[in-house]
Amino acid sequence: MAETVIEVQNISKVYRLGQIGSGSLRRDLNTWWKTSIIKKEDPYLMTEDTSHLSNQDLWALKNISFDVKQGDALGIIGSNGSGKSTLLKIISRIVQPTTGSVRGVGKVSSILEVGTGFHPELTGRENIYISGYTLGMTKAEIQRKFDEIVDFSGIEKFLDTPIKRYSSGMYVRLAFAVVAHLEPDILIVDEVLAVGDADFQKKCLGKMRDVSQKEGRTVLFVSHFMQAINNLCNKAIWLKHGQIKEIGVCSTVVNKYLASVQQFNLKQSWDNLQEAPGNDFIRFKKVELVPQIENPDEPLDIRVPLTVKFKFWNLIDDVSLSIGLHLFSYGGECIFDNQSPSMNFEKGLIEGECTIPGNFLNDGSYFISLVINRDTSIQLFYFEECMAFDLEDFRGDIKWYGKWMGAVRPRFPFRIEQTTFTLE
Amino acid sequence: MLSTEKKIKWVIEAKSSYFNLNFKELLSYHHLLWRLVRKEFLINYQQTLLGPLWVLFQPVITTITYVFVFNNIIGVSIGGKLPPVLFYFAGIILWNFFNDSFSAASKIFRDNIHIFSKVYFPRLIVPIALIITQFFRFLIQLALLVIILAYFIIFRGFSVTFTWYLLSLPFVLLIIGMISTSIGLLFSIITAKYRDLTNFVDILIRVLLFITPVIYPLSTVKGHTRWIVELNPLTPLFELFRLGLLGQGTVSSSQLLYSIIFMIVSLSTAVLLFNKQGGKLIDVI
Repeated sequence: MAETVIEVQNISKVYRLGQIGSGSLRRDLNTWWKTSIIKKEDPYLMTEDTSHLSNQDLWALKNISFDVKQGDALGIIGSNGSGKSTLLKIISRIVQPTTGSVRGVGKVSSILEVGTGFHPELTGRENIYISGYTLGMTKAEIQRKFDEIVDFSGIEKFLDTPIKRYSSGMYVRLAFAVVAHLEPDILIVDEVLAVGDADFQKKCLGKMRDVSQKEGRTVLFVSHFMQAINNLCNKAIWLKHGQIKEIGVCSTVVNKYLASVQQFNLKQSWDNLQEAPGNDFIRFKKVELVPQIENPDEPLDIRVPLTVKFKFWNLIDDVSLSIGLHLFSYGGECIFDNQSPSMNFEKGLIEGECTIPGNFLNDGSYFISLVINRDTSIQLFYFEECMAFDLEDFRGDIKWYGKWMGAVRPRFPFRIEQTTFTLE
Repeated sequence: MLSTEKKIKWVIEAKSSYFNLNFKELLSYHHLLWRLVRKEFLINYQQTLLGPLWVLFQPVITTITYVFVFNNIIGVSIGGKLPPVLFYFAGIILWNFFNDSFSAASKIFRDNIHIFSKVYFPRLIVPIALIITQFFRFLIQLALLVIILAYFIIFRGFSVTFTWYLLSLPFVLLIIGMISTSIGLLFSIITAKYRDLTNFVDILIRVLLFITPVIYPLSTVKGHTRWIVELNPLTPLFELFRLGLLGQGTVSSSQLLYSIIFMIVSLSTAVLLFNKQGGKLIDVI
């Protein structure tokens, strides 16, 4: 049984919204008087009931408790504003919780951005030292690793040049080289993958995998890249509006989270003609992607047929329209362009649907654009990227876990039979 | 793998106490401290023609102006036989030391928010690094003062008898450094939250200059206004500085005691409040 290295107990964080001015001074004095002098509860912070709490207060986190064991790689997921970064900042000792406590064992390094402590006027060499010390490295550590850091970043020739003259790529490489050579017991990483190119991201992930899996250190990791979380972490926490929605084995939590996010992204509708996307000819009222799935909590996988439903206002009388559905991969490559035959329509609402069969697309992220043409060739309106979805992999009985090739994964039937029994 | 017994244990709690100053932790960051001092010097003289000479340029120009305006135009009496150049230069460099460490300390949160919001280290490291930086700047200026003094002694026949007061110089610097940094820290905490008070700080410093014996000696202040100058805890320190180095100044032990008590009170208030509020301020900046 691995030892507990971080114990988070009942952490809450309240941010006071609104302006700071003379009102806040009075409020501060009142709070200070009540809590410090006559030793009462903070009049502005009642934890038991939130209904009467002033709407000036925002609960970024509410009653969060969990343990992290030695060697765990814990992913923290959730939509923007769910409190992920606040949680990491509390564990990193940057912000103070409003209630609760965190107990921990071992040296903590947090990487909440790349290049913390860097000063543009200073040389690469100076910055390695100052950033290293700021992040809590010792002199011996930096000296021992200095050459490694320089090698890793590949900036040897520019070591004595002020980093304001570096290209942004060089800057990020140097900054990451420093953090990659930290040797904490607990590593906290927030969204650093968002910067840098694909190569850099791969390097980051590789390094983090080494840290957690080979060296057995504890890692807390926030990212929007679910694939990265899945690759790296064994446990995950899903935060929603500052509370723990789900905690447990990484893939389970990630799947539940994805399923809930997808529900949200799959439908858009507009009631007001003026505000709806479109132009003088066409205005969209609704676009919706309806998966043919029994349990709506399950994530979409490659077996599920997807029905694209749309509704739009046609603002021209007596016109011949055709509708096209374009499906793009995440990389922006068009997978197919499916055009309807032309039909004549009057002014008014037009509704339609088109189903993408199950067992056709490969796993991955996709987006859909809709196009409406007049007389088959004149484009009236192109509704770009109006829907997006992710398809999870499903292998069933196949005991092979490599990446399945191709943009589509159709199941065209094979006809295979044995024709002779001997090798004549 | 390391055994967990050797590893440090830590706790983060909602309440921060006034008395959680962790000296051991502070000491473990001494390398960072020296790097920050070095950084201050490096970034100030990066891409400049005269480099560190700028440290001397400013007080020299100010002294020339003061001598010209106060001595030649207005005719302010500085009392005694002390050459005006020495009198003003000594006052100016000591005032600069006070003023610069005060204003640097009062901007700590504003200037370091990008680092404070991304990484933890004992925040007190930053004000300590600032005061050390200012102290080094002062030493360079003091060296020039000593050179000017030597010039007047050798070539102008100025004579100064060095007394035991000379030994009080480090003590004067320590008290001035502590007072400026601790009051600066107090203001940094207040102005982090109430931004408009920075205007007040600027005015305060300007007024303070005129009730400190920088451009006049205490001995020339007569009558019913003298108590204002004497209320200023900096007054005996400026007088003692000139007395020790140039042999002219008025200071009593009770005044000095007042300055010391003022230092102790302001320093302990500042450190305690910094401990208590430092962690919370990040939310409001």
